[in-house]
Amino acid sequence: MTFLVSAALAVALLIAMPVAAHLLRRGRAREREFPPAALVPPAPPVARRRSRLEDRALLAIRSLLVVALAALGAGPLVRCSRPSLARDAGASVALAIVLDDSASMRLAPPGEEERWERAVGGARALLRSAREGDAVAIVLAGRPARLALAATTDLGAARATLDALSVSDRATDLVNAVKIARSALADLPHGDRRVLVLSDLAGEELPAGSPPPWVPLRELTRPAANCGVVRADRRGSRVTAEVACNERSAAAGRRLELVVAETPPRAVAASSATPARPAEGTVVGSAPITEQAGPQSVVVELLPLLGELDARLSGSDASRHDDVAAVVPELGVTTVAVLADPSSASASTGGPPIVEQALRALESGAIVKPLTIMPDDAASLAGWSALLLDDPAGMGPEAREALGQWLKLGGVALALLGPSAGRAELGASLEPFVAGSPRWSEAAAPGIDPSTATALGPEASGLASLAPRGRVPLTGLCPSGARVLARWTDQVPFLCERDVGRGLVMTASLPASPRVSDFALRPAFLALLAHAVDEAARRHGPRVTTAGTPWLFPGDDVVRITPSAGEPVTVAPERDPTHGTSRGVYAPAERGRYRVVRGEDAETRIVILTAEEVTQRPRNPAQEGTPAPGAGVTGRVDVSREAALAVLLLFVAEVVVRLGSRGQHREVGSAAR
Amino acid sequence: MIRARQIRSALDWGRLAPLRLQARTVAAGVYAGMHRSRRRGTGVEFGGHRSYVRGDDLRWLDHRAFLRHGRLLVREFETETDRSLRLVVDATGSMGYRSDSAPGAKLAFAAVVAAALARIALASGDPVGLDWIGGERRRPLPAMAGREAFERLLLALEAVLPGGDLTADHHAIARAINPIARHARRGSVVVFLSDLVDLPEDAGQRFAALATEGRTVVVVRVLDPAEATFPFSGPVRLRSSEGARVVETDASTVRGAYLEALEQCAQRWQDRLLPRGGALVRATSDADPIEIVRAVLAAARGLRP
Repeated sequence: MTFLVSAALAVALLIAMPVAAHLLRRGRAREREFPPAALVPPAPPVARRRSRLEDRALLAIRSLLVVALAALGAGPLVRCSRPSLARDAGASVALAIVLDDSASMRLAPPGEEERWERAVGGARALLRSAREGDAVAIVLAGRPARLALAATTDLGAARATLDALSVSDRATDLVNAVKIARSALADLPHGDRRVLVLSDLAGEELPAGSPPPWVPLRELTRPAANCGVVRADRRGSRVTAEVACNERSAAAGRRLELVVAETPPRAVAASSATPARPAEGTVVGSAPITEQAGPQSVVVELLPLLGELDARLSGSDASRHDDVAAVVPELGVTTVAVLADPSSASASTGGPPIVEQALRALESGAIVKPLTIMPDDAASLAGWSALLLDDPAGMGPEAREALGQWLKLGGVALALLGPSAGRAELGASLEPFVAGSPRWSEAAAPGIDPSTATALGPEASGLASLAPRGRVPLTGLCPSGARVLARWTDQVPFLCERDVGRGLVMTASLPASPRVSDFALRPAFLALLAHAVDEAARRHGPRVTTAGTPWLFPGDDVVRITPSAGEPVTVAPERDPTHGTSRGVYAPAERGRYRVVRGEDAETRIVILTAEEVTQRPRNPAQEGTPAPGAGVTGRVDVSREAALAVLLLFVAEVVVRLGSRGQHREVGSAAR
Repeated sequence: MIRARQIRSALDWGRLAPLRLQARTVAAGVYAGMHRSRRRGTGVEFGGHRSYVRGDDLRWLDHRAFLRHGRLLVREFETETDRSLRLVVDATGSMGYRSDSAPGAKLAFAAVVAAALARIALASGDPVGLDWIGGERRRPLPAMAGREAFERLLLALEAVLPGGDLTADHHAIARAINPIARHARRGSVVVFLSDLVDLPEDAGQRFAALATEGRTVVVVRVLDPAEATFPFSGPVRLRSSEGARVVETDASTVRGAYLEALEQCAQRWQDRLLPRGGALVRATSDADPIEIVRAVLAAARGLRP
């Protein structure tokens, strides 16, 4: 603030002058002795009315007049709390507003409004200061970052877009949002381009670049103690919930409660032995949460119940929205399909292939389905939770495509590569199990290094001596991003796995055939199968995605999606001209249960938060990039026009009050006479 | 040691001091002829004849007139009567008021008039008594005649201090009137000097009641010039001398209404006094006391002031 501004604002001290004048005016009517005062008419004295009504109104008007004049003198350099556009030489501005609609923006610091509401209010204030010719783009920073409004000079469209926006449960994607904002401004002819970030900065650091991002609303980064239920999974008679807190105090004295959500799904038939189901909202179990910051797991035991449950935190914090999460029910029946050659993969004593026998030996409750050929359509794979291929010879393109889609939807596939791997037909391959052409070769190592097979548990020690007759070296064949779970003693990968979508692909370099090795006879083989079945049970259950993750619905079916809170949405398929296929896309923004009806199939999907949205604290905006000199958005507001208007209105008000009081004087005088 | 209360309530004599000189001057300016009794009957000085009526004392039948004129005539005689003057002076707090334009307080003016009336009466040989309404250090005087009576009356008038609140003392009027009603003889003249402010509603009725049994009541309303003209303007806060009444008003607006109320107050007193043979004399403290005394004497003689 310059000296001139300070001096202009100091004029406001002259507000004492009307007050002093008022007191002096009242002081003239000092008390004096007058014996026949009783004969003075009892009519309302004008002096008293003047001091109480007219003078006070005039006093207020004149005081405001002084303040308005001071503001007028100090303008246009008065600083206000609302952001506005400062422009150089009146040039038009291209502005990209990055609005963070992630879940952390739902928090409301103590005594303040929700961060989202504050951010939208700031955006509206900015739009009010925009002028004709300014271009505005709006980018949402919830994951995935997306463009809500392409750069336009239609400020009315920008305001309408702001009115239609709402906060979501998405994760934060500020980095990509800023990139999108910069790209939205790239083709504009405006010389003055700015990127404005309205966020709590609970995420990654803002990327450097031009134009630099600027965070004008620092109040959005004020801390707010909060806990939230990120996810809750039911396994048998217990529910394991992931609870996250950003401050230790937010977890003090709070408990995790399980409450009955709604009626059991019709897909699950209640048996007569099932106990009576409590009413909705009934607490069926609870456990205290640890008073700590960060994520934690809370296990709650409960009675065997049918139906859907909600995990709820007792108490209150900065956001009640994330205190409740839908419990992900466990899968009812796990179905494992096995494709094996009975002639080579069976024991010499006869019976089904060794893999099938081993699966039944697990007593996991999974249903084993033997296959004769590899299906080449996704519909055939849809009913299975896991797929085990013993010594596959390769898959055709259709089969690989179907397998890929099935994996993305949560399937778990395990390939036990054997001698057939090197005899793939033309056009067939073992993708996505291996990247490239495998070959069967003599084994150069006697067994597996147990120290590298910790994923298989203590049973891995039995793999040290397998006496293999050969192996498929996975060196260079494990796909990128794969994790090596076990290695041969010569450090050649023996077992690797890789996530594909929601599914899992595992590749072992030995088949189950006992003619090749003792691998299938070792306990570690059962541990490997158990691992695959568990993963299948976990991944092929109800689909659990984070908010903002798009759901793809291949095919021409119209999908009807009903969220637990909200209106149903119909997703129509769209034609992809590139691939000639149709698919529907829906990105749920709110956490909770979604009932998805696709044709005759119905399923329940659950959308969860990311723990980071709860645990990450806002960063200091001062550490973020600062705008270039004269090119940023500042808090300076030119109030000259408003101040001048206020001066004019106050002057008119004084005239009106004076005229009104003059008429009252005449009335009082005539009444007294 | 002079107490603060005395200083506060001391009478502001102004240009009306000294009382002795002022009273003599005023009295000297008034015709001070000896008055004769109007009472006819037994006496030493012949007063004329009148026709005989049944019941007249035959001792006063004039035989010579009957022989000369053939009519029955009765002789009448005039006699000098004891026509006492009873002064009642209002010394309440309001009488101590003096505005900037007044030569002195209202009580001082009333004291000058009272002293002048007393001097005139004493010069005629009539006894003069003094009673008070309100006031501090007041000394009532019984009716007495002679030179000493004038000195004692002057001392009493000079010693009194304005004070007292009739709005809180409802028996002050009775205390002043009852001795007069008991002791004032037929033919006495009662002169009440007051501003008539803050008096009880029945005060006029009580004083008018004194005008019986041959007594004459003259009320002299003494106002300060400011009270008579209400010279204020603009917003003012007026505090009464008696009671706690404070009025905040616009003087310019309510002047007419105030003067009208003041006149109505005087008119009420006059309406009560006239039927009983009394009179109201209006005076302001800046008026010539001689004219006021003349007006009082005229009123006492039955002439309208």
